[in-house]
Amino acid sequence: MNSIIWKLLRQHVSPTQLVGFAIANLVGLTIVILAVQFYRDVKPVFDDEESFISKDYLVITRNVTSAGAMMGGTTEFTDADIADLESQPWCRRVGRFANSEFATYATVGLGSSRAMRTEFFFESIPTAFIDVDPAQWDFDPAHPSVPVIVARDYLSLYNFGFASTQGLPRVSENQIGAIPLSFTFMGNGLHEAMPGRIVGFSNRLNTVIVPDTFLTWANQRYGHGGTANPVRLIVEVNRPGDVKIENYMKEHRYDVAGDKMTSSKANYFLTIIIGIVITVGIIISALSFLVLMLSIYLLLQKNTRRLRDLLLLGYSPSQVSSPYKRMVLLINAAVFVLALVGLWLARRWYLPMLAAMGVKGSSITIAALVGLAIMGCITLGNLWAIDRKVRSLWIQD
Amino acid sequence: MNEITLHNTLPRVFAGRDAVPSDVWQRELRFERGKHYLVSAESGTGKSSLCSYIYGYRIDFDGRIDFDGRDVRSLSVKEWCQVRQRHIAYLPQDMRLFPEITALENIQLKNRLTQHKSEAEILKLFELLGIGDKVHSPAGKLSIGQQQRVALIRTLCQPADFIMLDEPVSHLDDTNNQLVARLVMEQAEQMGAGVIATSVGNHLRFDADAVLHL
Repeated sequence: MNSIIWKLLRQHVSPTQLVGFAIANLVGLTIVILAVQFYRDVKPVFDDEESFISKDYLVITRNVTSAGAMMGGTTEFTDADIADLESQPWCRRVGRFANSEFATYATVGLGSSRAMRTEFFFESIPTAFIDVDPAQWDFDPAHPSVPVIVARDYLSLYNFGFASTQGLPRVSENQIGAIPLSFTFMGNGLHEAMPGRIVGFSNRLNTVIVPDTFLTWANQRYGHGGTANPVRLIVEVNRPGDVKIENYMKEHRYDVAGDKMTSSKANYFLTIIIGIVITVGIIISALSFLVLMLSIYLLLQKNTRRLRDLLLLGYSPSQVSSPYKRMVLLINAAVFVLALVGLWLARRWYLPMLAAMGVKGSSITIAALVGLAIMGCITLGNLWAIDRKVRSLWIQD
Repeated sequence: MNEITLHNTLPRVFAGRDAVPSDVWQRELRFERGKHYLVSAESGTGKSSLCSYIYGYRIDFDGRIDFDGRDVRSLSVKEWCQVRQRHIAYLPQDMRLFPEITALENIQLKNRLTQHKSEAEILKLFELLGIGDKVHSPAGKLSIGQQQRVALIRTLCQPADFIMLDEPVSHLDDTNNQLVARLVMEQAEQMGAGVIATSVGNHLRFDADAVLHL
């Protein structure tokens, strides 16, 4: 039965139109899912807190070469400066760096002849701004032991700069905790030593960080209370790369540490570009959908007489429309599968490049679901159009 | 289905006319299962309209048509499909064969839907009506008279309470007219079906219980 019906209804089926639709839709769909997938594959590079492109935080200082500073102006941030920062729409919160106000020596080793001793300094910021999550990030004067977080750059500096030229062993991040470390503090006539340990490495903070509780305690004990205004601030922003942030910094002569503004901009532009690409893909898909709709309408229009005569024989509208529905399902399924193949081929090409940057790529589930959703909508639209057209033939007034 | 009744039915195109002299329009009329009706008419009096109203593909009429007391306007698409497959066998005046497929395929298109006759029975009907050599010819290549006979075979490939034939023998000679009439009567008898045949001149040669003038 189906073969005879198909023999009738395939009249006027235009392979050219259908192939045209399939190609257009394939291009559109592939662009969309590839963009989604690429974004998901690349995003970790930008999002990773441990990454060099830490995007949401800016460390700022006053420009020390500015005329004001040269003429005895301060490099400190006043409460008013901070309040003004906090009132900016792109600013989520501001953290103050506190400095140690006393002399510190760090000793690495067990006090033997190979022990290294060096002058040292500390800073602290509120825990919420620290990008590592160490256990026991606290200080108890009753059992003094100082946990510190150091910039990962310092470890690199030691391993690749110092150790290799001095014939010293390189150390990994895991080994570092086992290295005996002690601090000697001097101030207010005191000269005290206590053990320390490195509990983590930070990419965001280019300094040596100790818990707030320790620094407050130590500044009171060895310094003069730690009430000075901060000279460095850490700012969490909600629109990284926003030009307004850059303008604000320039206007107030604040320096932003490193190239974080630039990398934030890169992330911002990535988002915009991916958005544009997805939009273009969706527009192509939408246009191809219209092409198929027109093609279907034309086909049904040309076959009106046949469809009506089949209905008169006692065929139901759904029986009469099913060959066309099967055709649409087949084409759309093929387009979906080919788009996934396209995605796979594209990833085979770009994943090795990402792998070189240490990015593995994420699962394709989301991209596949997005593709499925788009094809689902297109297919439902097509099926609905076929149904509607065939039902309109039922009464032949 | 035991009866088809018309209550004051009138094609909308006739609305506005003062009086329509007719045994069918604007009357109470009953077609009963098992009985034979000849609807005789002149061209343009609405004979094909009558068939299309009863077969449900046109609704441009005033008044009411009932199947066993049920208004046909209330039938769902699904119910109409059942009517067309099981209750009313219809031969349209323009036959509505598909010219691009063979005569047999045209029949199969209906018969596979109803599973009413075997292929052997169908081929026998082709022979009986003198078109045994046309089974595999594309319907479009047949003469009008041959097409009329193919369309009749298709009409008979379903169970029916009524067999409704719109000018079934308009292009047939007397011998074929009688053949067709005998075949229709035979099939109707087997199923206990009523027959409604329309004609503008060349009547189907059968004994009508009633002759209605449109």
